[in-house]
Amino acid sequence: MTSIPHRSDTLRDRAHRYFDSLLRRVPPGPDGVARVGGRQIYIVPTRAGFMYGAVMLVMLLGSLNYQNNLGLLLTFFLASVGLVAMHHAWFNLLGLAVQARGGSPVFAGERARFEVAVRAEGGRPRHDIRLRKNGETPTPVHVGAGDQELVALAVPTERRGWHRLTDVMVETRHPMGLFRAWTYVATEAKTLVFPKPAPQAPEPGHDAGDSARPHRTRHEGAEDYLGSRGYRPGDSIRHIDWKAYARERGLVVKQYGGEQGQEVWIDWARLNAPDPEIRLGLLTRQVLDVSAGPTRFGLRLPGAVEGLSQGTAHTERCLTRLALFGHEQD
Amino acid sequence: MNKTDLIPAAERPERHQILWTTLLVAAACAPFARYLDGQVTAFLALILAIRLAALRWPAVLPNRWIRALLAFAGLGNCLAAYHTVTGQDGGSALLATMLVLKLLELDTKRDLRLVLILLGFLSVVQFLFDESFLLTFYLGAIALGLVTLLTELNGGLGAAGLRPALRVSTRLALQAIPLTLVLFVLFPRLTAPLWSLGIDSSRGLMGLSDSMEPGNISELVVNGELAFRARFAGRRPEANQLYWRGPVLWKMDGRRWTPGAPPSGWQQPARLIEASDPIEYEVVMEPTKQRWLFALDMPVSEPEGAAISPDYQLLSNQPVTALKRYNARSVLSYRTAEPDTRVRALALELPENVTPRMRALVDGWRVQSRDDWTLVQRALAHFNRENFYYTLLPPKLGANPADAFLFETRRGFCEHYASSFALLMRIAGIPSRIVLGYLGGETNEFGGYTIVRQSDAHAWVEVLIAGRGWVRVDPTAAVDPSRIDNRSATELLGAGVSVRFDLGEAAALVRWMRDLRLLGDTLEATWQNWVLDFSAQDQRRLMDRLGLNAWREYGLAVLMVLAVSLTLGGILLVLMHERTERDPLERLYARLCRRLAGIGLPRLPHEGPGDYGRRIAAARPDLAPDVGGFLALYVPARYGERSTPETLQRLSDLLRDFKPKAQGSR
Repeated sequence: MTSIPHRSDTLRDRAHRYFDSLLRRVPPGPDGVARVGGRQIYIVPTRAGFMYGAVMLVMLLGSLNYQNNLGLLLTFFLASVGLVAMHHAWFNLLGLAVQARGGSPVFAGERARFEVAVRAEGGRPRHDIRLRKNGETPTPVHVGAGDQELVALAVPTERRGWHRLTDVMVETRHPMGLFRAWTYVATEAKTLVFPKPAPQAPEPGHDAGDSARPHRTRHEGAEDYLGSRGYRPGDSIRHIDWKAYARERGLVVKQYGGEQGQEVWIDWARLNAPDPEIRLGLLTRQVLDVSAGPTRFGLRLPGAVEGLSQGTAHTERCLTRLALFGHEQD
Repeated sequence: MNKTDLIPAAERPERHQILWTTLLVAAACAPFARYLDGQVTAFLALILAIRLAALRWPAVLPNRWIRALLAFAGLGNCLAAYHTVTGQDGGSALLATMLVLKLLELDTKRDLRLVLILLGFLSVVQFLFDESFLLTFYLGAIALGLVTLLTELNGGLGAAGLRPALRVSTRLALQAIPLTLVLFVLFPRLTAPLWSLGIDSSRGLMGLSDSMEPGNISELVVNGELAFRARFAGRRPEANQLYWRGPVLWKMDGRRWTPGAPPSGWQQPARLIEASDPIEYEVVMEPTKQRWLFALDMPVSEPEGAAISPDYQLLSNQPVTALKRYNARSVLSYRTAEPDTRVRALALELPENVTPRMRALVDGWRVQSRDDWTLVQRALAHFNRENFYYTLLPPKLGANPADAFLFETRRGFCEHYASSFALLMRIAGIPSRIVLGYLGGETNEFGGYTIVRQSDAHAWVEVLIAGRGWVRVDPTAAVDPSRIDNRSATELLGAGVSVRFDLGEAAALVRWMRDLRLLGDTLEATWQNWVLDFSAQDQRRLMDRLGLNAWREYGLAVLMVLAVSLTLGGILLVLMHERTERDPLERLYARLCRRLAGIGLPRLPHEGPGDYGRRIAAARPDLAPDVGGFLALYVPARYGERSTPETLQRLSDLLRDFKPKAQGSR
């Protein structure tokens, strides 16, 4: 994992910076905001721009041939407007302040959310700003002078761990759509991706070591209906109250459990799937299943233990452990 | 599946965008309608009407098959009107037709962009037909309109409607103007066309033709269009001296005069035996598609690319198809050489329809005259004494116009007088020929030049007198002024357009109108001189003046690239240093920071207002209430909801009382 380039100055950082400068990405400044510089902006004509140029060329040749000065004048005027428009496209990105922030964690396979703030500093508005990541059609935004606009980016995820945005393409076709100016803004924004929960998982074991008891609890627990709550991503499909869904009450999950004060250990060692990622998926499913009930639970991973506890914060901690298992900690 | 369903929402044009584009296309086609065939105009109007109706009732919009049919119909329509679609007229008509047809197929914004971009092409084509000042500005406005709509189409401007787009496009246009001028002045021009111009001859230009028959010139005289402008280097000669010499006609077939000049071997080159009273002038001539250039009687030196013919016509080597500027020199007093007998014989040829009473008339004069010149005077006196009327509305003449005019109607115009006079001279044995051209011209005091219009067209006679050579005689001028019928002329020309006749009492309003008209003409002449007529020659002159003449075209190209880069650089500089309207809130915060920096506590670059405030409070607890109070108002206003005038006022009040002092001074 690279650290922030401007703070320490190791050889690797310098190489990284050099690489960045070759790519002409906009690095974030000391305040975490990237400001677009002139040399980091790329610009090429769009299809409409090429068409415009071709028509200008025909107009120029025709006017020259007929020695028609007024034709030339109009041709030069439109060509000049095109040239000035190119500079406006460039200028529209120049000095734009961009800052990206990661969103709340998601499960692998879902879309990681990032929030990108685009600020028009320096007292002039920015028109037609489009943020792009992975080739989706972006909606153009307008940023008033001195204002800030937030743009949500959803990026597909595949693997658990930190999902880094690394860079965003900021694009504009302002003013006439003849030129497309763009720049890559490097960001340090990251969103945590939990492992993708397995569709179903074996019951986790109880601390007492009585493997039959949770089993029985589960079976008898069918009577111990504790109530319902709204569906949360990661909930087991088995627990969805399909009757409620059919009655158009939305996705509701039934909660079961035994008596209060039950304790469960979710343990890496108790599973025997060979692939660690599959194991993590199973553990995630177990965490989600158990956290849906009133049971206090703990998580045991090789080299890491999360003690017995309860509640959303605890669940999140456990999921984070699973997400970052085997990764270097940031 | 319907095609439009596949188009993403962002690419689908909105209704008002289609409406504005349609209106802009209609506006661009409107001045063009004058030059298009009626049926082409009707087709354009029909398609535009369908397009506009389809905005209200979408069902009206034709489907693909009908559109294809309409395209064929449009092509056929152009072919039917012009028989070709490759010429200037046919090609332009086809372009307009296809552009308008494209309006029926505006599924995506791309289609709209295509239409708008091609609209520029349609505008340029129109300049081949009309080069007026007014049209230039009209089409300039169309160009601004297309830039505005392209901007609106691109979107992302924050507010809806055309106004923000118009603001952006106006800025673009204003910044583009210097660049346009640089390109216009420095872009190298072609001295010869790249491909055949294929100028259609179907569209006749107003002007003299190289033959004369009754009715020819009076048709011209009712036309107030410009023929040329002349600027005299020295004094301007009297109006009755301004005989602008055009084609010379030798041959008369009984009704019609045609050039029929003697073969070149028969005549010596133009040479004046005596010449005095020289005068120099510059002429800017409208295109005529003819070779003759107009010079005052008699031209003595020819401009580059022209020659003086043996009968003293100034002839250009190429037909004048574009605005032509030339310098010429003439002498007002002269004596021409006398031609040989073959030329004399040609100038004495008579048509077959000479009547006995014409011969009797001339014989009567011959008896009373001792020489040719006295006879000429006698003939002129005849026109003056007898009941000859000058009118633009002469009665119809029969098969023998000269006879009918002389003895029956006696009403006519310069062509009648010149034609019959020349004929009478030939009967008398005096060689004669007709000269067509212009007489006089209106002086424009504002511009310091003379305007010569088609209405100044004139015809006069030259007779060959022994010992004097060819002598100009203007029989029209011999008509008694009291018998000049002004009424018909003003009727024809419309009040105020008449230039041949005095306006009578110069009422203040009339004079004022005349001044206004002359001022307008001055503008147009300047326009012509500096814009329409700007050529490779002028560019060479500019290079000479800059001392870069040795570099020629390359120098021009280099200069152009340099100037364009400099101008673009200038535009960028303007963009960067444009007065930025800073947020008043930020200005207040900057003032606070400046004051704190003044006591040695400057804000660090990465510090936000919160961190900065905490640091100040820690370093100077005495300032904490003031700074804290300011920030408590500033932060939510800056980062939360929009600031209100009240917060601004309170903040500025707080700042006014905030005068921190450095620690040491306390």
